[in-house]
Amino acid sequence: MAQLKTVIESPLSAIGDRFLQWSAEVGGMVVLIGQIFVRLNPFKLDGPETWRNMYRIGVKSFPIILVTALLTGAIMVIQSGTYIQQYGAYGLLGWGAGYSVLREVGPILIGLMFSGRVGANNTAELGTMKVTDQIDALRALAIDPLGYLVVPRFYAMILMMFLLVVVGDFTALLGGAVTSQYMLGVDMELFAWSIVTYIKLEDLFHGLFKSIAFGFAIAVISCHFGMSTSGGAVGVGRAVNASVVGSAIAIFVIDFIFTYTFL
Amino acid sequence: MIVVDNVTKYYEGRPVLENVSVEIPEGTNLGVIGPGGCGKSLLLKIICGLVKPDKGTVEIDGVDVHKLKPTELADLRFRIGMLFQNYALFDFMNVADNIAFPLRQAGETDEDEIGRRVQEMLDAIDLPNIGHQYGRELSGGMKKRVSFARAVIRRPPIIFYDDPTAGLDPVTSSKIFLLLRDIRDNYGTTSITISHDIEGIKEICDNFAMFERGRLVFHGTRAEIEETEIKIVRQFWDGFSDDELNV
Repeated sequence: MAQLKTVIESPLSAIGDRFLQWSAEVGGMVVLIGQIFVRLNPFKLDGPETWRNMYRIGVKSFPIILVTALLTGAIMVIQSGTYIQQYGAYGLLGWGAGYSVLREVGPILIGLMFSGRVGANNTAELGTMKVTDQIDALRALAIDPLGYLVVPRFYAMILMMFLLVVVGDFTALLGGAVTSQYMLGVDMELFAWSIVTYIKLEDLFHGLFKSIAFGFAIAVISCHFGMSTSGGAVGVGRAVNASVVGSAIAIFVIDFIFTYTFL
Repeated sequence: MIVVDNVTKYYEGRPVLENVSVEIPEGTNLGVIGPGGCGKSLLLKIICGLVKPDKGTVEIDGVDVHKLKPTELADLRFRIGMLFQNYALFDFMNVADNIAFPLRQAGETDEDEIGRRVQEMLDAIDLPNIGHQYGRELSGGMKKRVSFARAVIRRPPIIFYDDPTAGLDPVTSSKIFLLLRDIRDNYGTTSITISHDIEGIKEICDNFAMFERGRLVFHGTRAEIEETEIKIVRQFWDGFSDDELNV
């Protein structure tokens, strides 16, 4: 009887335990969002720290985003190229590639790259600062660590994610145009005409709104896991892992909600 | 005046500091000794409000540290300098910016004056030419000295030193202890110094406290600690052990 009780109880207790852990993490993120917004009044941003973060988050991510976007545009064109050639619908090539890049593939792929590069780095940096007493050192020097470290990163990540998606979208379309010209023999002008004619402004905005939401989620998740790191180097590794996985899940959940709501 | 009254702190249900009461009169230096993991560093964090005790109070100049609002606590911390056990240098700043950081955050805007005072500190810690280097390029002893410079550059009236000479050679250690004494004598600072260098803190502290497993086992003057019959304090102070090591 006691054995049966254990067999039934242990999976239930494991599920309950995991649920409580998830609840604590989500609760921590909600509290962090509240703490960030509390610091909006009065609005005070550490200028040098914000610029430093914008540079390392945005400018340093530029090359990898360009490569990702260029290849994404090319892949979209190659994928749809088979059917376009089969049906001779060359005038739809730009629309097909542009629609999927601007609304879905561009923001998602750039978001995943951003979370892997910037979010992971952010969690590792904050986590290392936490376990080596640097956060306590800031507090001991009468400096609010959230105001000094988290708030500038929060704004820098949202803004830079948005700008990188803008740049990435156009780079992807450029990659698509070049690929259509040299690999499928479809004229770049026809490709551009197709985009201008069939793509609506709301398709562009749909992706850009997503990029803001992705930036928000990656910023909150990476800062939360960084600031709640404990347990030395092993703890930093765990926090980075949780941050990357959490950001990826958040990106897909947000994407689903946006697509379902605004399609 | 710092008054620690009956402070207790638990971690995972286990007491790591238990009913600790100690007073540090203004302008004096309390030397804190004890084996590793006995709660010394935690006590410093509790005193400056970084960690909240589960029981008891900490008063600095009559104000209960743990009842202050965040802005009031920030004001109090402007009067406190702290040297952390594991340096806590900011990785993303070079040495000069680390040392200058407390001055800039306190509103000092004259960069010439900041540069002059940073160089003065670098000279004092015997590292005059490393301002442009980053923490990752320094040895443990050098980091400790830079961290020391950052803790004292604002000349705060209260300073906590957590093992200021750990990892330093004897000559540099004695220089650091001389600096600590100069700071106290010239600026009348109230301080707490955690150290395992008994010979060093003998010379710079007015009173001594010894901790063991989270409990305060001794608190008194140098004369009293030298006369005490408490075995563990005697062993620690004189640096011997009755127990044989089983290797």
